[in-house]
Amino acid sequence: MNATAAITREEAMVRLAAIAGPADTRIDGDAICVAPGSTEQIAEVLRFANECGLSVVPTGSGSKLGWGNPVAPELFLGLGRVNAVREHAWQDMTCTVEAGCAWAAMQSELARHGQMVALDPLWPERATVGGVLAANDSGALRLRYGGLRDLVIGMTMALADGTIAKSGGKVVKNVAGYDLHKLMTGSFGTLGVITEVNFRLHPVEQCARTFTVGAQYGAQLAGPLAELLHAQIAPSAVQLRTAAGQCALDVRLCTRPECLDGLTDQLRKIFNGMAVQEVDGRVWQAREQLFCEAGATVVKGSLLPAELCATADDLKETAVAKSVDVSIVAQATGLMTAALADRRGAERDSIVTMIEQLRERLRPSGGSVVILQTPDALRGKIDVWDCRSDALPLMREIKRRFDPNRTLSPGRFVGGI
Amino acid sequence: MLPHGQIDELRAAVGAGGLITAESQLQTYECDGLTNFRVLPGAVVLPQTIEQVQAVVRICARHKIPFVSRGAGTGLSGGALPAAGGVVISLARMNRILDVDIANRYVIVEPGVINAHVTQRVAADGYFYAPDPSSQSVCTIGGNVAENSGGAHCLKYGFTVTHTLALEVVLPSGELAHFGSPTLDAPGYDLAGVFVGSEGTLGIATKVTLRIVRRPEMVQTLLAAFPTPSAAGQTVSDIIAAGMLPAALEIMDTLAIEAAEAAVHAHYPKCGGLLLVELDGACDEVEILMREVRAIAEKNGAAEIRVAQSEAERALIWKGRKAAFAAVGRISPNYIVQDGVIPRTALPRVLADIERMSGAVNLRVANVFHAGDGNLHPLVLYDRSIEGQEEIALDLSYRILNLCVDNGGSITGEHGVGKEKQQALGYMFAEPDLETMQLVRCAFDPESLSNPDKVFPRPRLCADKPGPYTPHPLETAGVAEIF
Repeated sequence: MNATAAITREEAMVRLAAIAGPADTRIDGDAICVAPGSTEQIAEVLRFANECGLSVVPTGSGSKLGWGNPVAPELFLGLGRVNAVREHAWQDMTCTVEAGCAWAAMQSELARHGQMVALDPLWPERATVGGVLAANDSGALRLRYGGLRDLVIGMTMALADGTIAKSGGKVVKNVAGYDLHKLMTGSFGTLGVITEVNFRLHPVEQCARTFTVGAQYGAQLAGPLAELLHAQIAPSAVQLRTAAGQCALDVRLCTRPECLDGLTDQLRKIFNGMAVQEVDGRVWQAREQLFCEAGATVVKGSLLPAELCATADDLKETAVAKSVDVSIVAQATGLMTAALADRRGAERDSIVTMIEQLRERLRPSGGSVVILQTPDALRGKIDVWDCRSDALPLMREIKRRFDPNRTLSPGRFVGGI
Repeated sequence: MLPHGQIDELRAAVGAGGLITAESQLQTYECDGLTNFRVLPGAVVLPQTIEQVQAVVRICARHKIPFVSRGAGTGLSGGALPAAGGVVISLARMNRILDVDIANRYVIVEPGVINAHVTQRVAADGYFYAPDPSSQSVCTIGGNVAENSGGAHCLKYGFTVTHTLALEVVLPSGELAHFGSPTLDAPGYDLAGVFVGSEGTLGIATKVTLRIVRRPEMVQTLLAAFPTPSAAGQTVSDIIAAGMLPAALEIMDTLAIEAAEAAVHAHYPKCGGLLLVELDGACDEVEILMREVRAIAEKNGAAEIRVAQSEAERALIWKGRKAAFAAVGRISPNYIVQDGVIPRTALPRVLADIERMSGAVNLRVANVFHAGDGNLHPLVLYDRSIEGQEEIALDLSYRILNLCVDNGGSITGEHGVGKEKQQALGYMFAEPDLETMQLVRCAFDPESLSNPDKVFPRPRLCADKPGPYTPHPLETAGVAEIF
């Protein structure tokens, strides 16, 4: 326990075991890991930690625990036991799910009635509902269905002082009270612990086909991409991939079976003269591959959709000049994931320079680059968030009101929040 | 009335032409679309620039004068009701469209821009701005942002928050802050997401970046006449269960049809429950889906099915629907509009309950629903000249909201809580929920100056301790009024 803690680790273990049960309270390295079995127990653990000055990091499967600034808490609050799909009101197309439920487990439950939460996050087999929300992750489906802000309709959360609060509800259309769930989404566990989430649902895409068009440069795809998004095709997902110097554009079409051939014809016309190949749906998992490269720095870029292809080309060109390997998976919404690996060793500053240049390039149009994963050699050499928002003082004040003792994930978020 | 010194400061900030203090002119601003609440403001200012808005808010912050921002005043929950003796900040003169970026599908507007003007500006490029509250020809984007406005087409396209990418906000301190970005997922808390729908209690939006949407290739509108609203409701459930997401699904009952007919002669069929289905998208897909919708309607006993054959016919159908609230004035001297939401499947049960409740107090209730998303607009008809009837009508309207909450729904789907439904919010949310929302309020506006005494069920100051109500020390000392 650190100097500010008002309690020894042994005492803390006894108290936590009394709340969550001895089988779910254990020591792991320098931290205590506790896995409460209900929202009420989560609130009790938080109240206890907050009173004793113990810092807490909430965690689901831990798949994105490395995102944000590193935090070494005294307590890991595991959501693994709070993992049920509580309600699937399939006729109303809504559901209520506990935060520790794995994304894929939730989806397979919902699929029994042909429905889904229309979002494709990273590592769905492991990633939990709470973790996906806290990190505001999203995939290529965002083009058609929107992000979590559009899909989450209600939430239960536990605050640092043990308050259990709800916002929103179980209906899609609802403007009663402040939307606390929007504040919690993407807050990286710094304001409270998400314990239960209500989603709006969509029908599972029954008849979907994926096509790929290859090119040497992004610039060759920019025109057709703009035309595709302006056409009446309404693809459910579009992504640009670059790896090993080659580019590809993946398009997912989803419509009534009778209309699919017509849409495919339109697609071929748009990519006039280029080879349009039907491919396996697994290309949509390409984003996950970026995190597998050993020693790679993985970033999330946020840019204007029309700048996608040119930005990808520039990044590729710079990478070649600096002997850096770059792989990109970018959604048509303008969200880009890029993996950068320096062939001549992780300790060189070439990656840092590239990220700084990319930030400068994107900043004038409101874009940003956030570091998701980086080797230890580069940690500390570059700001993870680079948040220059003039709303930062307000964000700090919100944090102060929600968590005055800085119990929850201290320092993990923007501006040291 | 405000002290002379403060009036002088306001005049210096916005110029004599931007300041209203004459009582006869102030009366224009004493209410919004919910006219049974009226309060005379101390002054009205009409700034033309962000700097002027900031200057006014700084004056208010310095002297602790409550202020209420206002667009076109079409709100239906009293959200723009002035604070007694406070300042109303009308954004009507800040009405420029600042930027249009078709390639990236966004526009940047000032808050006083009228909703329909956004679509007009981008229509030639094949785009539109999706949220379409019935008042869209007069209501402003600033007001839409405050209320998170919806409209008939939000079933498919979402609400104002779905289409708000970024905001420039004058905080209650007078500081300027930027939330969000034209690009997605700007680092930091999603303050734009929280600000939209906060009903003017967190500050004043002075610039809004809105997403625009590609106009669909084809739009088809179908009317189906059913013997009862429940049969129409069943059709809605079946359409959704078939995996379709129409652009709009609306139901009107006999009284609402009668009123709309009297007002705009939309040539609606006479029936117990009229269903309006609008499908949009690629031509061949819309045609296939329309056949399926027809089949579902027939299966549920539709006596008559009509598809609008021209844009003029379609426009007339919508004119009747969008005029329904005002039209009720033709069949009743007074009426109250409510805005409850229920899970779609609860519709038959809730309708039966409303009928029973209105019968018990001998009042008529006309029903207009955004049925696709379970948003009910019961219109409680009454006659103010009959003593005691207004109270009975109000009581009925609030009990209908409670009924929505009891059925797993909400007290408001698009009109906002405002002044009207403060107590109902306390029925929907528990004290810890409201206290947590108050943390947000206090972070933005520790002095509770921005649209005070709205939304939340009882007056609070940010220094209040959670728990049972205790008077604020300043209040007991007679130094401050709770607002």
